[in-house]
Amino acid sequence: MKPKSASLIAACILLCANPASAHRIDEYLQATILSLDADRVQASMRLIPGILVSPSVIAGIDGNGDGAFSENEKRAYAQRVLGDLSITIDGISVQPVLVSWSFPEPAQMREGLGEIHIEFTAKLPSGGRDRSLMLANHHLNRTSVYLVNALVPQDRSIQILAQRRNEQQSVYELDYRQAGAVDAGSRVSAWLSAIQFSSLFHLGMRHIAEGTDHLLFLLVLLLPAPLLVSGVRWGAPSGVRPSLLRILSIVTAFTIGHSITLSLAAFNAITVPSRLVEVLIAVSIFVSALHAFRPIFPGKEAWIAAFFGLIHGLAFAATLDRLGLGRWDRVAGILAFNLGIETMQLLVVTAILPSLMLLSRTHVYPLLRIGGAVFAGFASVGWMIQRLFQVETPVDAIVNAFARHALLIAVNLLVVSLVCRLLLTSRTQPTA
Amino acid sequence: MRKLLVVTAAISLSVTLPSIAQQTATTARIVSAADAFLASLDATQRKSVLYDFNDNEQRARWSNFPTGVVPRGGINFRQMSAPQREAAMKLLATVLSPMGLEKVEQIRQADDDFKANGSKRGPGGRGPNGPPPGNPNGQPPPFPGPGGPGGRGGRGGPGGGDLFGSDLYYISFLGKPSTTSPWMLQFGGHHLALNITIAGSKGVLTPTLTGAQPAAFQMNGKTVRPLGRESDKALALLQSLDEKQRKQAVLNYSVRDLVLGPGQDGKKIAPEGLKASEMNARQQAMLLELIAEWAGILNETSAATRMVEMKADLNETWFAWSGPITGEAGSNITAYYRIQGPHLVIEYAPQNDEPANHVHTIYRDPTNDYGRALTMQ
Repeated sequence: MKPKSASLIAACILLCANPASAHRIDEYLQATILSLDADRVQASMRLIPGILVSPSVIAGIDGNGDGAFSENEKRAYAQRVLGDLSITIDGISVQPVLVSWSFPEPAQMREGLGEIHIEFTAKLPSGGRDRSLMLANHHLNRTSVYLVNALVPQDRSIQILAQRRNEQQSVYELDYRQAGAVDAGSRVSAWLSAIQFSSLFHLGMRHIAEGTDHLLFLLVLLLPAPLLVSGVRWGAPSGVRPSLLRILSIVTAFTIGHSITLSLAAFNAITVPSRLVEVLIAVSIFVSALHAFRPIFPGKEAWIAAFFGLIHGLAFAATLDRLGLGRWDRVAGILAFNLGIETMQLLVVTAILPSLMLLSRTHVYPLLRIGGAVFAGFASVGWMIQRLFQVETPVDAIVNAFARHALLIAVNLLVVSLVCRLLLTSRTQPTA
Repeated sequence: MRKLLVVTAAISLSVTLPSIAQQTATTARIVSAADAFLASLDATQRKSVLYDFNDNEQRARWSNFPTGVVPRGGINFRQMSAPQREAAMKLLATVLSPMGLEKVEQIRQADDDFKANGSKRGPGGRGPNGPPPGNPNGQPPPFPGPGGPGGRGGRGGPGGGDLFGSDLYYISFLGKPSTTSPWMLQFGGHHLALNITIAGSKGVLTPTLTGAQPAAFQMNGKTVRPLGRESDKALALLQSLDEKQRKQAVLNYSVRDLVLGPGQDGKKIAPEGLKASEMNARQQAMLLELIAEWAGILNETSAATRMVEMKADLNETWFAWSGPITGEAGSNITAYYRIQGPHLVIEYAPQNDEPANHVHTIYRDPTNDYGRALTMQ
């Protein structure tokens, strides 16, 4: 019990023939709960005068002293309470606007029972990322006790960092972080994290790295890219520039192709049975293996890459589909996933490109080209059988064994090509 | 592989089935006790205890105030015959745990003590005559009209007192007792509001209010503290904290009342204090023990389910304290404390007229007040 003078206790004995139990006695409780939005703060206040303070509160409301609260008197009192508040955001003062109010009967209040309810809202001007809201309540400070709390914000971009109060809670400060509103960068990052951009990006990378059939198709298609056609066979290496351009155009065409179908399929614009897609992918590898062996569509590699890219895109879409993203999230999802695929693809091509360029200038290149073509040919046939007839073949195991050591193979290939390029004479004459 | 599956399924079934069966059996017992009570009533009584399950006004008609001040729905013990009272107590004994039943009984006894002896230390120092009676039918209009003759003082005087007393506790139902479809049992009066939602095998106690004044009194030569363990266990937890933990747990401002008392359903305030993830295993166990003082009011099967949830939420559960940090077990604290988690709000708020002898507490699940998470389809 707060130190109370004997006279107060005496007054209470006189006044309270009524039980004071469970009632506030000599305090005016003002409890506020704040609800924070991106651009405004809403508050609901409960004002509960104790028995001993209620006469003065009643007198404060009942302006004309007729013993009843008129609508005008209620509104005026609610407005006065708001006037006794001071609200600032980042040090700038903002004005509370009255939303609603309700009052108990004076008799109820005289018993120390009734609750006055006041709701208000205040617009918050936009500001920085880290913000501070201050609420100071000066209403009848001498007799009042306060409670102030903030609801956990509904808006997930708002994060409460700290709450500070003075001992009576008549001054309350709320520090919070607001992603968005003003800081476009953090809003984008919040959105990106909401749609799991980075995880989809990684999924795309993993998909191409582990989806050996996609890579095999592309790599085998690249095998003859540095070469010129000589009749019905592959001939001498072309110049560095045209070779690089051709490789670039093949990779780009493949990307464009699978991006188109990935987007279409992800929006359910087209649906192709996944088994058919898988078989067609195996066919695409077989075709590119044939082409690596003997030129069947020289100069049209980019078109072939684009065409089969369409089919590979359908397979990517199936992966994305399983994630069940919303419509607009899907656009960003496709972008993230595709970027992941491209990045991984680019890494692989960059890793293998120097070896191709170097080796293609030596006599051993046909070994790699034909070896690669035969390997891809067998693998594709295996996959075709597997996917058509749904039987197990050792192809997956073999290809995966190679894929597991992809980095090692790539490094070895580079070393071998460097050695060969240095030791062996460059070839200018067409060979088989 | 298939064998493994079968074995796993068998094990998980044999673990879960008995507990489901146990919960279903508990509900069946509660429903039969409720039906027995309802059968003991006459038609008029039955009509006044049964509310529609969707009656949200009755759902929220509870308070810390005496029933003469804030009337409750349903009928009270005074309006029941001896066999009816017996059936009501049997229902409570089935729904609640022995510990919960004892707590309810002690809260009612405190009300009798208050009626008999008044507040010993509070302002007003009311003598044995204590509170004035309302009108004798048990549901007085709580407030005299403005300027009514004699006002408050005029009604004073010695007598039975219809504001307080262990017989002024009310029982009501929302929906018909059922083992399948959801229904509610409410029991409460001054300083007590049990809101129990039963949906199939599940039972939910939130929101529930307990309180007491006096919070310590003599009965048959023994000291009774209806909410004594709530005080002692919290104090022990606070005193087990090291300097750094205590700094986080103890708020530097005063909290003069419940923040989420009656009427503040479903509100989730920003938590403060010390996170249980910063506590050691012993302190975490103490915190769970403290929560069990509320969760354990309900029968064992429902309480066990609730405690599993509390344990799972532990790392996201906060403990905050405001007020004196000294004290000793056996005498009530004068400090406020709050426990808050993803599915929990507990507040213990000493009242300022006599802080150590008058306390209100609230127990909520802001995500599941009145079992809404179970009953909303």
